Amino acid sequence: MTWLVGLCLLPAAGWGVFLFGTPALIVLAVSIAAAILAELASTLPFGRFTLRDGSAFLTGFIVGLLMPAGAPACVPAAASAFAILVVKQSFGGLGRNWMNPAMGGVVFALLSWPGPMSQWIAPKGGAVQGAVMPPLEALRAAMAGPGAKETTPLAILSSSGFTFSDLDSQVLGWINTHVFSPMGISLPPGTFDVLIGHVAGGIGIVSVPLLMLGAWFLLFRGIIRWHLPVMYLGTFAILAAVFGGLGSGNGWFAGGPGFHLFSGSLVLGAFFVAPDPVTSPMTNKGKCIFGIGLGTLTFFLRFFGSLGDGVAASIVLGNCAAPLLDRWTSRRVTGTQGGAA
Amino acid sequence: MKSEDPPALLFLGLCPAIAVSVRVIDALWMSAGVMLVLLLSGLAMELLSRESSGNEARHSFDRGSPAARWMRALVVTSFLTASFEAGLLALAPAASAALGIYAPLIAVNCLVLGRGMPGTHNLPTRRTVVGLLGRGIGFAASLVAIALVREALGAGTITLFALGGFGGTIVIPMLVEQPLRALGFAGGGLLCLGYLVAVSRAISRRAAANPAGGEAAQ
Repeated sequence: MTWLVGLCLLPAAGWGVFLFGTPALIVLAVSIAAAILAELASTLPFGRFTLRDGSAFLTGFIVGLLMPAGAPACVPAAASAFAILVVKQSFGGLGRNWMNPAMGGVVFALLSWPGPMSQWIAPKGGAVQGAVMPPLEALRAAMAGPGAKETTPLAILSSSGFTFSDLDSQVLGWINTHVFSPMGISLPPGTFDVLIGHVAGGIGIVSVPLLMLGAWFLLFRGIIRWHLPVMYLGTFAILAAVFGGLGSGNGWFAGGPGFHLFSGSLVLGAFFVAPDPVTSPMTNKGKCIFGIGLGTLTFFLRFFGSLGDGVAASIVLGNCAAPLLDRWTSRRVTGTQGGAA
Repeated sequence: MKSEDPPALLFLGLCPAIAVSVRVIDALWMSAGVMLVLLLSGLAMELLSRESSGNEARHSFDRGSPAARWMRALVVTSFLTASFEAGLLALAPAASAALGIYAPLIAVNCLVLGRGMPGTHNLPTRRTVVGLLGRGIGFAASLVAIALVREALGAGTITLFALGGFGGTIVIPMLVEQPLRALGFAGGGLLCLGYLVAVSRAISRRAAANPAGGEAAQ
């Protein structure tokens, strides 16, 4: 099952390697190798061999997917090692960790090395002017500055001087003249780039369509259930739509939830990380509450926080509540009194 | 929780332990304060309890109820902590500034560490002193160990006293450029504390399981 999840992440990873080239491949290889070595180092002395369950591989893989392609090799290595040694094995290995290992490792790296964790590489064919940044980071930088008086995230980006690729302008120009202009609508520049993930960012999280492809497969095979991701993304989208514009002074209902759903690691987190059976509630009701909580936390951390895009930190925080949610929502066995039957 | 388990006791005096273990030197000052106040307050409590148990109780607070003992311990410890604070401010202003609000919290640590020690057992003074010293050293060792790990890994430096040509700070090459900053945050402090407790628990469990270490805990 774990291997299948890894397989579903392959298209998005392949896209990242295609966009960012060899550095992305190195980061992925280093983070996976570090996770496997850490797993071996922490289990072999006790006479156990646990690589076959695939969890160490998946942890390293997800850590790598969230890294910027330009990160120096020691950062993914340390994040993976921390994830396996401290977050997973210190609590007794797979099934006993209360926090998602990959997210723990990423939060550790974000806290420890904010500089190396933002060494982005420009995507292949992307326009490079000034500092290379993912759209989300650029948006936050623009909103922190004065005079971000546009109504949508993409408009704020354009007015702040953020450039999108030539491909984007060509495709949008064609679509706008042939499809939308008769209807009196015009898609803002950047729509195409953000939609397909032709932007700078974490290796495996830029391409939302390819992540969704893997997510559909997981849903179809019944490996994850819809409750958690739908509640997570839904809560986040509603909060972002209603309150997201308040920070830039645009008032209510001006957040641009579409942009936020397609940027950062939100989709990866909602479909591949948060439903981790070890660290999420088991009941459907619990999953729904968990998803709502994660969406709320992600909204606050992304719009008012400073730790990356808020997904990793909110999943780590949410994990603390998962056992409680299980207790509250588990069915009582008839004839007993306790909730934790 | 066994009262001879200093790192576990640290949980009770957690706030200062996490706050002052970011730099080794702050941990050293804090340890010095705790040991001094612990020892002096223990001795004072010993004398007070001896005085009041020998004669008829003259004041209501001299009666031997636990609450009265706690009140006495509180007053004595707070007084000594305030004295230590004032002394630190006069003699080592830099250390006083570094400890900040956490210097008054020495009183909390001492109350926790000295719990059940003076005034409740009729121990000879010498054993009281030895016991308190042991607890103080245990606390200091734990605190300095945590501070060493946190500062060395979290900042790439080890800050000690400036002495002669020595500037007071050992810089660890390589690590100082990209330290594991997360360990310098409060969460990193809790992490180190957790590992310290785990290690000390493992050691004491092993000692208990080993029949050579005295009566085995069956």
